Formats: sequence, structure tokens, C-alpha cells
Amino acid sequence: MIKNKVINILQNTSDISHYEIGVSVSKEKIVTLTGIVEEWKDVVNIGHLVANVKGVKNVVNDITSKDVNIKEVNNDIEIKATLDKGVKEECDVVIIGAGISGCSIARSLSKYNLNIIVLEKNGDIGEEATKANNGNIHPGFLAKPGTLKAKLNLRGNKLYTQLSKDLDFELKRPGSLVVFHNESDVKKFKVLKFLKKTGLGYFIKSFRQYMKTPGLKWLSAEEVKQKEPNLRGNPLGGFLMTTMGIVEPFEVCYALAENAIANGATFKLNTKVLDIRKTNGAVNEVITNNSVISCETVINCAGVYADEIAKMVDDKFYTIHPRRGAIAIIDKNRKGFLNTPSGVLGRSDRSHNSKGGGASVTPEGNLLWGPTAVETHDKEDKSVEASDLDYILNLGQGVTDQVKKNEIITFFSGIRAADYKEDFIIEASKKVRGFIHVAGIQSPGLAAAPAVGEMVEKIVLKQNRLITKKLNYISTRKRTPIFRDLSRELQDELIKENPNYGRVICRCELITEGEIIDAVNAPIPATSIDAVKRRSRAGMGRCQGGFCGPRVLEIIAKELNIPHTEVTLKGGDSYVLHKESRS
Amino acid sequence: MKIIDVDVVVIGGGPAGLAAAIEAKKQGTKKVMIIERDTSLGGILQQCIHDGFGLHRFGKQLSGCEYADNYIEELNTYDIEVAYDTIVVEILKDKTVYAMNKTDGIIEIHPKAIILAMGCRERTRSQAFIWGTRPSGVLTAGTVQRYINIEGYLPGKKAVILGSGDIGLIMARRMTLEGIEVLGVYELMDSPGGLSRNIAQCLVDYDIKMHLSTTVIKTHGNSKLTGVTVAKVDSNRNVIKGTEEYIECDLLVLAVGLIPENELSNQLELDIDPLTRGPIVDDQFMTSMEGVFAAGNVVTVFDLVDYVSLTGEIAGAGAAKYLKNELDLKQEYLPIKSGENVSFVVPQKIRLNNLSEELPLYFRVRNKQEKTEVGVFELENKIYKKRHRVVLPPEMIVEKISTKLIGEINTPLVVSVKEV
Repeated sequence: MIKNKVINILQNTSDISHYEIGVSVSKEKIVTLTGIVEEWKDVVNIGHLVANVKGVKNVVNDITSKDVNIKEVNNDIEIKATLDKGVKEECDVVIIGAGISGCSIARSLSKYNLNIIVLEKNGDIGEEATKANNGNIHPGFLAKPGTLKAKLNLRGNKLYTQLSKDLDFELKRPGSLVVFHNESDVKKFKVLKFLKKTGLGYFIKSFRQYMKTPGLKWLSAEEVKQKEPNLRGNPLGGFLMTTMGIVEPFEVCYALAENAIANGATFKLNTKVLDIRKTNGAVNEVITNNSVISCETVINCAGVYADEIAKMVDDKFYTIHPRRGAIAIIDKNRKGFLNTPSGVLGRSDRSHNSKGGGASVTPEGNLLWGPTAVETHDKEDKSVEASDLDYILNLGQGVTDQVKKNEIITFFSGIRAADYKEDFIIEASKKVRGFIHVAGIQSPGLAAAPAVGEMVEKIVLKQNRLITKKLNYISTRKRTPIFRDLSRELQDELIKENPNYGRVICRCELITEGEIIDAVNAPIPATSIDAVKRRSRAGMGRCQGGFCGPRVLEIIAKELNIPHTEVTLKGGDSYVLHKESRS
Repeated sequence: MKIIDVDVVVIGGGPAGLAAAIEAKKQGTKKVMIIERDTSLGGILQQCIHDGFGLHRFGKQLSGCEYADNYIEELNTYDIEVAYDTIVVEILKDKTVYAMNKTDGIIEIHPKAIILAMGCRERTRSQAFIWGTRPSGVLTAGTVQRYINIEGYLPGKKAVILGSGDIGLIMARRMTLEGIEVLGVYELMDSPGGLSRNIAQCLVDYDIKMHLSTTVIKTHGNSKLTGVTVAKVDSNRNVIKGTEEYIECDLLVLAVGLIPENELSNQLELDIDPLTRGPIVDDQFMTSMEGVFAAGNVVTVFDLVDYVSLTGEIAGAGAAKYLKNELDLKQEYLPIKSGENVSFVVPQKIRLNNLSEELPLYFRVRNKQEKTEVGVFELENKIYKKRHRVVLPPEMIVEKISTKLIGEINTPLVVSVKEV
């Protein structure tokens, strides 16, 4: 039945009808696709087409394309090396991936008497999509009604207020503004208002998410002008989602991880999962490049690699297709130019499946433009191309034509871990006991993170009803001093207490030596220049580390007691210095 | 909190700040203080171990360090306070300066006059719009110079240099001498950005090739730089498709320009000249705020340190005169404007009553021109002229105008460069 529908749509869609695609459907309604096509975009298009067929639970897309060469991963040699080494460890829960989801789950589970190990292949936590995120805590309005995303987005947004107090990270709620320039849009939004006020929207399925979103306001032309006087042109009106928040995404991730650690969780960085072994249909051992870890529960939060981790336990029922998103940051000279993340109706390309794409603001007040959404076959493709910036500039231009291209201080990209249903997959494996999928987490993954933690907590508790709560659980966390935010008097006191806070290392962002030493000696130590940057902001300003880079490198070398030549920019082999000039 | 009253505070102890502080003192200012963020004076000169400094100022070729030492020695003969390892964090519009260091904590300084001498910073890879990944091994020329000359480390084995400004050229030679293979210097423009003598001494002498109208468009490697893509550009600086070439290297050195460092000037909301990217200054190098002066690369990026020192002296003397109430602060300013083939002129405005015998004008041309004449005009009236065999955008022109000739008619001065 489903198979026929799938074949039918593949044969009746121009551009792809000439391909020979193998289709098989499991009893769980998972469609597996095979075949060879010309271009990667066809692979992605076919995946989406099939995922949208009614009744399809998800798509395993094994189609290859002639324009890309994806190497088959084989970990056999590395697995053997670990087994030969013979290092064994034990715990209750292994969490794979220390991004925002993994860290949130670690914190949620750290309330219980569970031995938790979080494994991260990179040299730092949050180093993938989390750090390259625009920091928006979406109101939940745009998520497709009925999806898991929609539910967790609303819940997560709500949980952020308390979370930011508990974990001492900065959360602002400037709201999110959509403005419109044509009369027809004004009418549309009047209808929306009517549906909301009367409650009639509940009767229309596609409006349900909107009906559930709190804090919606309709602004007149004057109110828009008053709120954001620098917006381009003279908008006829605006739609304000007051619950929209902004955070520094890495800070949230880090706060969650630090609190989990305070409650006994262990984070192992530079630790890559090579294989997962089962016994009697339940997870048993996780093999990494360092050790073999026996455990009862494995939580797969591996982002773009979630499908490959699922394959290790023979429960891959989704394929992650990486989608790159590029972001540009504007010089803080423009601080205050725009205070509300804003968009103009009809400006961003809604043909893709990720949200965003507009002008946002960071908690520090930098304008942030983007992100883009570009399908790529390469899970490590964190490049930014000219076309990305063109798209970003176009988004920015929609909001204001005053901010120029040369005010951009940096641009970067991250990879969204999208599946073909374009929804979150959070569930206990139906095939392997103790294995929990947390996959397809893309936007609004940051906004949903607290709710993702809560949901996985419930799944774990359901699986093991004997789990007890910790008596000495620490629910709050206090961050180390942020020098630039203190009054002059408090700054003076802090320097008297610890003179390291009296030496400025990053002058663009006013970051002191004390803060960098704090970062290097933190519970999750910053061992690279970028890791220091993420924790302290050193190097995030307009000179982009030109001045402070060598000084940060020196502090890392000194604090970690390693040679300068072993300090990296971003972990791995990203050494900054090749050798001593007179050695 | 430590509170200090001074007559003149100089922000930055590089060549501009040194000259300014000495001159202010020489002209009778009682309490002069320099705030220096590094642990020693001299600014970027400390890492300039090559020669070529001081030809104008001292009549001989010195290294950057020697040049700075000349000033530091002179400074030491005066009672001038220097706060080392100290950074200015904020200036209020009432001229209160907040600085900080490890020993004193926050210092609140109340000066009667301020001289801004913060220098400039380097443009980054993002500002040069280089696409691709963000691996290690992409550094600005100044950072590479610091690693090699001050800290004693080599940041790579095989280098590509983007930008043919003087720093790029100097680093081509320096890296070659240190055993780093320099694969080429790439320049977006159709003519070199650096001084002719540096092209001869740093590239030609070492067989390093310069590729004009060619730029780095992309970096490769997720972790460590593995190579760059270069491509030729057309006259509009757009990449010509099909000319892309991959070069394997582990170091990309960016010498893509300098930008005046004006964070503090912006806090004071000084008038900024969009062409120089520095504060608009008058004949005393006083900015749009009375009692606030600017000197050196804060005003515009000079290509010779000798000029930087000269502007420091003007600003220092200006501050001293300001304190002695010797400056006319009421007279209407006469603007100085850029005429034919001139991209900017510093100072941007003058007060006739404050001029000394000579008025130095610093300016650059827009385009290369041969057999030219510099002319300074009051309407049709040419009050100054000088022939130049060739003028080039990278080589700043300095003309000293006798002030006796200025001000016959009350009209803006226009500086033009024309073929003759």
C-alpha cells in the first residue's frame, strides 16, 4: 500500500521519474530507498518526497549520487586497538554527543542515582550545531502543528525562564517581530488576530500551533516605528511574538554540562564511539577509541552522526541529511540599532525546511544575520561560500539597508542534523532494549533543549522504575565572573582580590587574563583557542583574535603546562605554531 | 579606586604617543602621562626588526626597535609618567578616562587634554571575504611577525601571502630567512600595495613571485589549513571563472590592510572621516572635541613611521598650546578638500590664527600618475605647486605649505594632482 504510493510519486515527479529507485517498506512503515542518481540534490528531493507520503514513518535513504563520493566508514582497526588495550569502564547511562541535547539530557538525568558518562568526539562540548546556532529561543509559532518539534518547542521556550535563573546564563526576551509592507498581508494578519481572539483557529488543524503560542501581539505602523525605528521603509504593521528569547547557545550548553558535572556526570572529550555491542537484545557495551564501557542505557544524541550510531545497534530507521547554515555577525558599533530579532514577510526562502533566516541580535547586542540552509552530502562541510553571504546579505537588506557588508566582522557555518521527516525523533528503540534515539534535532533544537531533557528523563524512568533521586542534587550553578558586566567599583574589588582580572587580554571585548585562566581551568577545560573564545568571548570582537590570539595561546600553554607548539586553534591537529624558530 | 589628575594623558606608547608626550613636555606641560597596554614602550615597532625606519626623521636607516629606542631614551630624560600593562577601558565625554592594570585596579584619570595614539589594527580574513572553512594556519601578517620576531616560533612550513602591502612584503622576506617556503604574494589590485623599495628588497632579491590581479578566494581544511584556492580577477575585482588554482600550503598570511583603531574615539563620538576612517583633525591634530587630540595611525594609516612621529609632535605641541590657552578656539575653520586624483587630505580643516610657519599636508592619490604636479588652490589661485615624476596610491605624499600664502581669500583649500 505505502510502497505503491511511494513508487507512484517517484514515477510521476518530473526530474526524477527517469531514475531507477529501489523501494522497500518495513512493517514499521520505514521506507528504505536505494539507487544511483546524478546529483546530491536529487537524493535529498527524493528523500523528502517519500517522507511526505502519507503513512510513511521515516526514510532510510541509501541512494547515492554520481557527483559526490561518500566513503564507507569502517572502524574495525580502531575497534581492535581498543579491545587490545583492554581498558574497561562501567556506568549506567552513556550519552553519545555533548551538544545542547546531550548536555540537557545529562543534566536532567543527573538528578538521579545514575552513573552517567557523556562521550564527545570533539575536543570540546557544543562544538557542532550548538555553537554555530543563532541563539534564538523560538516562540514555537512556526513549527508544524502536530509535530514533536512543535510540542517541545513550546514547552522548552517556557522552561528557559527558570533554567536561566538556575544555571546563571543570560536570557533576554526581546520578542520576534515580523513586519509587512502590503495591504494583503495586513488583511491576513487581521484574520489571524480574529482566529486567535475568537478561538476559532482551534478548529483549523494548520492553525493549532499558532493558537497554542502565547504572547502574540499585533502592532500598528506607529508601534512598529516606535519599537524599531531603524527598520527599512515604512512597514504597515507588525506581528510581535513576545516570548521569543535570545541566548548565547554555547553558554547554555556549557551551563547544562557544568551542572551535570556538579551532580556527578562524567564528560569524556576526544572520545569517539566506534561500536555498540548488544547482548540478548539489550545494549551491553560501548566501544570508544579509549575504552570499552559497559552500560545499561545508551542515548544517541550524535547529531549528524545519529544515523550511523543507530546503525551500530541495527536500528537505523532514519537517515540524517546534513544541511549547512551560515551566519554573519555585525560589528558591535551597531549595538542598539536593532533590538528585536526581525523579519520582513516574504523575504526569507521558505522553500527549505529549517526556520530562521532573518536579522537577529545576540545577547551582547551584535546584529546577527542568517542562517542560510544548504543541503550538503558532507557532514563536516562547515564552509561558507560567496552564495551563502549573498543570501545572508539579502536577508539583512530586507530589514535595513543601512548596515553594510563591510560591517560584518565574521561569518561561519554549522550543520543541521535533519532527517527526512524534518521532525525530532525521540523514542526508546523498539528493537534494542536500553537504546534511546534522540535524532533529527535541528531548529528549534536549542529552544526545545530543556524539554528534550525532560522527555528523555521520562523515557529512562519508564524503562527502569527502580531509579531513585539523589538526596544531594544541586539544581543551580553560578558562573565565574564576567568582568565587563561589573560596575567599576566591583571591577576594582575583583582586581584587588585577584590581580589576573586586572590585565586585559582581548581588548575588543574587554576580556581579562583572569577570565581566560578560569576558562582553561573550568570543569570542562578549554584546551584550544576557540574553546577559550566560546567560554570567555576572547577573540569574538572585531579584530577576531588578531591581537589576543598569541596571548591566549601563551596562557593555555602555561596553564596546561604544555609547549606552545601543542596548543591548537580548535582541537585535533589544528596547531597554530609549527616549531620553535631556533630549536 | 585610584584617582589621578594630569594635564595631558597620552593613550598609547607607540611612535605617535612617544613623540606626542615628549613634545607636550618640551612645550612646558607639567604633568604628562602615557598609558601603554604592553609591558614596554614602542608599540608595533618592537616587533619590526627590519630596517627602513627613520630616513626622514633621523637621516639614516634604522630598525623599528632602534627607531623606538631613540624616542624612549629621549622620553627617559623627562619627567613623564608611564603606566605599563595598563589599558584604557572607557573615556567619558567630560574627558574622564578609566584605565586598569593588575596593581592599581581601576584608575580614574582626570586629564585636561587627551591625545589619542592607539594606532591601527589589521583587517581579518572575514573582512577580506575569503570563503571556505576556518582552519588554523590563517594569520594576519602582524601576528606572524609577532610569533617569529618576539616569541620565536614559526607558524608554518609553506606560506601563501595575500596582500602586497609593506607588511606582506616584509614578512615574505622574513619568513624566507627563517626557512618558511613562501609560495607567492597575491594581490587583488593590478598594482602592488607596498613601497617600491620593499618590492625590490623583499621579493625580487629572494625570487618570490608577485601575482597581481589575483586573490585567495577560499581556504581548505577543517582542522589545519591544507591549501588555498587562488583566482584571477577582472578590472572590477570579480573572480574570472576558470582561473582558479589550488595551492597546497599550511599558512596563509593576510596583509590585507590596516584600519585605524578608534573604539575610544567612538566613545567620545568624535567626527570621523569616512575616507581616512579616523577622526577629523585640524592643523593642531585636534579632533572635533576641544582638548582631544589624535596622532599617528589613529588618524589615518601612514606608510612611514617618520610621518607618525611628526603628527605626534604636532598633537603634543597642540595640546600644550591648548593648556596654555594659546589656541584660538573660536575662529571659523577653513576646510581642506580633496581635488583631482586625491583620495584624502589630513588635516581636514585649519584655523588660520593657529598656524605656525609651515603647514604639512598628508595625502594619497587615487590612481597612479606620471609626470604630475601637486597643486594647492584657493579657488583658481594656486598657492603651492610641486612636480612629482610619479605618484602612487600606496605612497603617501607630504607637502609643507608656507602659511604666509594661505588665507588671502576666505575659501577652502583644495589639493589636486594633475598631469603636466
